[in-house]
Amino acid sequence: MTVDNQNLESGAMRFEVIKAALKGGAAARLGRLAFARRLPIDTPNYMGVTSRGALPHLTPDNVSKHLETTGAYMALEDFIERPQQYAKRTPPIYETPTTTKHNTRLHSFTALPQSVTTVLSARRLPAVASPMGNTNASVSVFTSTGFQVLTTKEYLSAVKTLTPDIAIPPADLTHSPITPNSKRALRMAERTDEWVVDWFSELSDSNNPRISTFAPVLPVSYSIQWEYISRLAEDYLPTSQLSGLAIYDADLLPDLAEHCAALVPLPRLSLADPPTPHHILRQITLGIDLFALPFINTISDAGLALSFTFPPPTTTNTSSVSESSSSCTGGPSPLAIDLSLPAHATSLLPLTPNCTCYACTSHHRAYIHHLLSAREMLGWTLLQIHNHAIMSAFFAGVRSMLAQGVAQEGNFDEAVRRFTLAYEPEFPEGVGQRPRARGYQYKSVGGGEGRRNKPAWSKLDGKAQDEEDGRIEA
Amino acid sequence: SPALTFELVARCPVTRARASILTLPHGAVNLPIFMPVATQASLKGLTPEQLEATGCRLCLNNTYHLGLKPGQEVLDAVGGAHKLQGWNHNILTDSGGFQMVSLLKLANITEEGVRFLSPHDGSPMLLTPEHSMSLQNSIGSDIMMQLDDVLVTTSPDKARMREAMERSVRWLDRCIAAHKNPDTQNLFCIIQGGLDLDMRRECCREMLARNTPGIAIGGLSGGEAKDDFCKVVAACTELLPDLKPRYVMGIGYPEDLVVSVALGADMFDCVWPTRTARFGNAITKHGMLNMKREMYAADFGPIEEGCGCPCCRPTEEEGAMGITRAFVHHNAAKETVAAHLLTLHNVWYQLDLMRQARQAIIEDRFPAFVKGFFGNLYPDRNSYPTWAVDALRGVGIDLIQT
Ligand SMILES: [Zn+2]
Ligand SMILES: [Zn+2]
Repeated sequence: MTVDNQNLESGAMRFEVIKAALKGGAAARLGRLAFARRLPIDTPNYMGVTSRGALPHLTPDNVSKHLETTGAYMALEDFIERPQQYAKRTPPIYETPTTTKHNTRLHSFTALPQSVTTVLSARRLPAVASPMGNTNASVSVFTSTGFQVLTTKEYLSAVKTLTPDIAIPPADLTHSPITPNSKRALRMAERTDEWVVDWFSELSDSNNPRISTFAPVLPVSYSIQWEYISRLAEDYLPTSQLSGLAIYDADLLPDLAEHCAALVPLPRLSLADPPTPHHILRQITLGIDLFALPFINTISDAGLALSFTFPPPTTTNTSSVSESSSSCTGGPSPLAIDLSLPAHATSLLPLTPNCTCYACTSHHRAYIHHLLSAREMLGWTLLQIHNHAIMSAFFAGVRSMLAQGVAQEGNFDEAVRRFTLAYEPEFPEGVGQRPRARGYQYKSVGGGEGRRNKPAWSKLDGKAQDEEDGRIEA
Repeated sequence: SPALTFELVARCPVTRARASILTLPHGAVNLPIFMPVATQASLKGLTPEQLEATGCRLCLNNTYHLGLKPGQEVLDAVGGAHKLQGWNHNILTDSGGFQMVSLLKLANITEEGVRFLSPHDGSPMLLTPEHSMSLQNSIGSDIMMQLDDVLVTTSPDKARMREAMERSVRWLDRCIAAHKNPDTQNLFCIIQGGLDLDMRRECCREMLARNTPGIAIGGLSGGEAKDDFCKVVAACTELLPDLKPRYVMGIGYPEDLVVSVALGADMFDCVWPTRTARFGNAITKHGMLNMKREMYAADFGPIEEGCGCPCCRPTEEEGAMGITRAFVHHNAAKETVAAHLLTLHNVWYQLDLMRQARQAIIEDRFPAFVKGFFGNLYPDRNSYPTWAVDALRGVGIDLIQT
């Protein structure tokens, strides 16, 4: 693949549906999403989720060399903290100069390879719920120095400054697993609607043709947000201001396709945080084109190596499958193998058979088991490289099934069905210790993260070991 | 020695500095050299590929740590530390003794070996010279270190110091006898004797008589005054043969490296550059910069202007990442990536410092290099550390006079 230069002049995003679903709007489809100076993204596909502008554990050189990931999700709340002593400072990222190598501030501040498409949203994925809630003109965000208010105006101005390839307008979300009551849901839709109107009126007069807006579709029923969604279709689609949709609940796609056919040609980015590949496949069959996948990071931190392929192996009892299986009973294979288990201590096998990633071609399970056991940071780095490779291969498999001729329509659905049977429904938990919780992001999520790990082994005089212990201070 | 050749390439006509090529079972290594410490078979988040790209061809693993994890059985099953970590270049291992004495305060030393309680289950354990050799044979390191009786150099107990020195000689004999792979692994002796120069000289003579392929100067890097440190290094290098590599253990501050090279030492190791990276510190030719300081929050320059590491090198260049101080500041102590980037930079700095010293020796301009180095590090000559001025004067470089 090469960087798309055809769009260099116009700077516009292009989304091409290469093979639409026969069944109509809400079904799997094959496409290509291209931005000037970025690698084109063949869809369905995924993007990595960054933390503070970095794909966790991966330096930018490793991202360029060892990842096929063509997109990165970033959250503005990761960049705008106000340290107590410098509460008035301008967030440094707003002042970053761009360079020939990094043509947006977002790229140059984070040193993310230029070929990677960026998505900017206000909140992390998943976001920590704020006790303060949003107001009519602001969302509450969580930075490394605590909760703070981000006005919708400030967010829009940040978007103009940072010029992400894809910007998600502010949405009035609760970030809570509890479904909002209908009154709250209605207000979510109304606020988001107003914010989107402001967004487009402000962005239209700016000179930022490079920023493509993916409007949020809220995780509430279609009947509650139909006015808002109609406005998107009627007011902003014809003007080409609306470039795509950011979907927080893929189950809305059938309604969307039915009631708002005009929106069907737009690319759909799922921010619904699918917890497993089974959920990803389900969302693909509903018509999702692109995913932001936070689980890759948590899986790597848990010491797990993804071990599934799509389509699944045709004979489920091959040695390669049972090899990575904890049981030899011929049941479904695990979605990931737990490298912390002692069974891997002397295994010179790659993490998964036939994987061509750097971790699998240069190292073996025994090393990664050792690194996890010794709590060496490289363990998580290598797992990230592998897990991203497995996800890339998974989506390539999805695309190749979808690409097969019309005569074979149904092959994809059949492969999805077989995948469901071939693999366990959930990831193993991972017995290993996680990296030390990095800073603030986990603090308010149940508070259990810190205690998950046992204290480091002690010296004979009882003090905790502070020698070379493979951790950075939180 | 069948597993080592040493070729002297150039010597500084003024100081005792030497440039040489040390060829080990996993390839040639240019000396003088700084060896980064991959304690547990990993260099703090860097992939072996990233470490290789810094030019590193010889790194350390710690026997004590590898003996605990993954343990000797696993090392034997996997086929040694090179295979374990996917590192096809050279590895040097310590004996494991120093770590026990420094990490485990209750370790005590008898003629038999070092006794300590297992950090796993508190059971009593014993590290003997034979056991240390056996572990290092399982690790398969290109350079192994003898088990020595390490005492802090500042210990006032003369009799104990002599006992430690003499015991270290006896333990070398036991190590030589127990070493199973002399054709593929090199065993270095370690000169002890505290700050007593006569005792050091005596130890040199005893150790040299055992004719190991390389020689280490041990027991330093502790709390001794820098003057004393330099005197010990100088006293030893004076007696050491020209055609063997000389390794000063546990040395890592850039000034210590440059002065020790001038005093005739060739090899150094220290955890400081990688450890300090994890605390947010960048080593530069103008001193150490703490990237956590607010002044770097909006500093969009490279970590160090002119540095050739993948973080700092000009963004137009191939393989350059375009890392700014602001990005490192943003993630220092928050994301491991910031630590990885500083580790990469610091390791590069240390290796490059030794590459520059070597080049200067070969091009017969080492004294000018030393002067330039101190000139960059300090605002003026009056602030040069006295110990360095004195030590360098002793080998013919006057830092103060032009
Ligand atoms: Zn792999
Ligand atoms: Zn650098």
